[in-house]
Amino acid sequence: MNKTMENKTCARILIVDDELIIRESLAGWLKRDGYSIVTVESGEKALEIISKESFDLVFLDIKLEGIDGIETLSKIREIVPEMPVVMITAYGSINTAVEAMKKGAVDYLLKPFEPDELSLLIEKILTSKARDLENLYLKETIKDRIRFDRLIAQSKNMQGVFDLIKRVAPLECTVLITGETGTGKELVARAIHSHSQRREGPFVAINCGAFPEQLMESEIFGHERGAFTDAKEQRRGKLELANGGTIFLDEVGELSFKMQVNFLRVLEEKLFYRVGGSRPISLDCRVIAATNRDLKKAIREGIFREDLFYRLNVFSIHLPPLRERKEDIPLLARHFLMKFSKETNKHVENISRDALDLMMIYDWPGNVRELKNAIERAVVICRGSQIRPQDLPISVGESNKREGPDGSTKLLPLKEIEKRYIKQVLDDTNWNISLSSKVLGIDRSTLYKKIKKYNLKH
Amino acid sequence: MEKIPSPCIGINPIKLKDSSFLQGLLKEIKNSLGVQTKIITVLNDIEFAYHEGRGQYYSTRILEELNRLTPDKYLRVLAITDKDLFIPILTYVYGEAQLDGRAAIISTNRLMPQNRSPKELMKFSSRIIKEALHELGHTFGLTHCRDKRCIMHYCRTLREVDEKQTKFCFFCETLLMDKLK
Ligand SMILES: [Zn+2]
Ligand SMILES: [Zn+2]
Repeated sequence: MNKTMENKTCARILIVDDELIIRESLAGWLKRDGYSIVTVESGEKALEIISKESFDLVFLDIKLEGIDGIETLSKIREIVPEMPVVMITAYGSINTAVEAMKKGAVDYLLKPFEPDELSLLIEKILTSKARDLENLYLKETIKDRIRFDRLIAQSKNMQGVFDLIKRVAPLECTVLITGETGTGKELVARAIHSHSQRREGPFVAINCGAFPEQLMESEIFGHERGAFTDAKEQRRGKLELANGGTIFLDEVGELSFKMQVNFLRVLEEKLFYRVGGSRPISLDCRVIAATNRDLKKAIREGIFREDLFYRLNVFSIHLPPLRERKEDIPLLARHFLMKFSKETNKHVENISRDALDLMMIYDWPGNVRELKNAIERAVVICRGSQIRPQDLPISVGESNKREGPDGSTKLLPLKEIEKRYIKQVLDDTNWNISLSSKVLGIDRSTLYKKIKKYNLKH
Repeated sequence: MEKIPSPCIGINPIKLKDSSFLQGLLKEIKNSLGVQTKIITVLNDIEFAYHEGRGQYYSTRILEELNRLTPDKYLRVLAITDKDLFIPILTYVYGEAQLDGRAAIISTNRLMPQNRSPKELMKFSSRIIKEALHELGHTFGLTHCRDKRCIMHYCRTLREVDEKQTKFCFFCETLLMDKLK
């Protein structure tokens, strides 16, 4: 398992004070702030727990029975030098507090504290800690060469993909990228583009399965005014827009047979015409295609042209599914965690061991995209600083069974899928109706009706 | 049909010099939480929580008494005082609540308007509503929220209080509604 995922701490605060009333009132206040709090009444107990558990911040009273605050501080610094310690001091002992600062305390607070001062101080300490972690992470990714453009991976097979990208990028040839949905085919195409001689030009992507045939034709080639009923204006197609750059044909296996023929001609002649046009336009863009389909099988079935396949498949890159490179999961999970906790401005800093274990055994049919969505959702739902298994929208028992009882992948009616999906969301949220209805994008009463209709049970 | 007793939040004003905001507050709480509100008298005064040395009232002690004395039929109890409140570790608090508990208290002491102009008075009652919903939010297990516009955001200054909305953000609301259902 990835080393960098370990020895990370959960946002917890330790309070060391011999006065019960201080421990309780500070703990109560900080709990309402959402932190998880541990309190102890002596330096000895503090050292004992610190040597076993990890904290993001320690509040340490200067005056303690037994070993005093200053000595406790020195010992804490020996055990965990990076753990921030804030001294709590009474009015009479400011000099000692200054001494503590010299010994490595990050700050001190005079009892009683101003509430705004306390909250500012905690925020300052915790954000600078988060920033340190992020810097450390960036340095590690660069050092370990686990980042290539916007792709992140350390597994052997993905390192192989990075090498292929570097080799093919400077060439002009057509590239065919294969892999399941969510494996990052477009990111690979973009990486090729940004390492090619055409990097200053545009990168234009088009999903070949997104439009019916006639629209597709005009999307790709553009049209002249009056070419068909709705063609009120002349319009440039994606091939023209990609002029000087790269065109990315996603889901190329979905192209209609007629479009396949058109495309083949374009690739052979390096020219194309707008729909309804007679002026040839020369093709000046690199073509990268991608598919999650088995094109060789499609050729055998007669739905994909073999000649087009060979035109596209001059150089091919296959992206392995996430389940075949599980060593990348912790790395990717952490990357998305950083991204989303920054975007949502939430202090979610790590993933619990249990949650990570769950991610490692799950088989991720939706690949990296599914992982990304799962982390985004978990960051949003998560109430503490750590993602726990219940924050993840995955459960291993159910979701890994992608095949029917006879071992084949069954095609199911929409209703059945709706029923199963609602059940899954309900189970994943522990039958939290509000949350489930928000996830499903329907209101609570509709959800109740569907639960009744499908006779779903907790 | 069987009559289901509707849950109710008891509001306990304690010797307020100015109680002009009370009816508005009851209405806002009812609207925001979807729970009935009612004026009740659990505590007549809070002198038992007075601290000689600090000249303030110890809010945690008051919460214990509120929780102990409020009849079970009340889902929550919110006390309102114009005295200044404190907890031992802090110089003052605007209010306090038992996290995931039953009792909450707010003080109008530091929310007072600068003058009696209608605009300042509006601000004053809106601050009270925000603090009341914030503390009640804590009793439903909500912790502070990073969304600056959310009721559950912890405000360091009155200005921040004035800037936040009288609304729970999407996530706080979701969590709250789950507790309330
Ligand atoms: Zn609060
Ligand atoms: Zn919120």
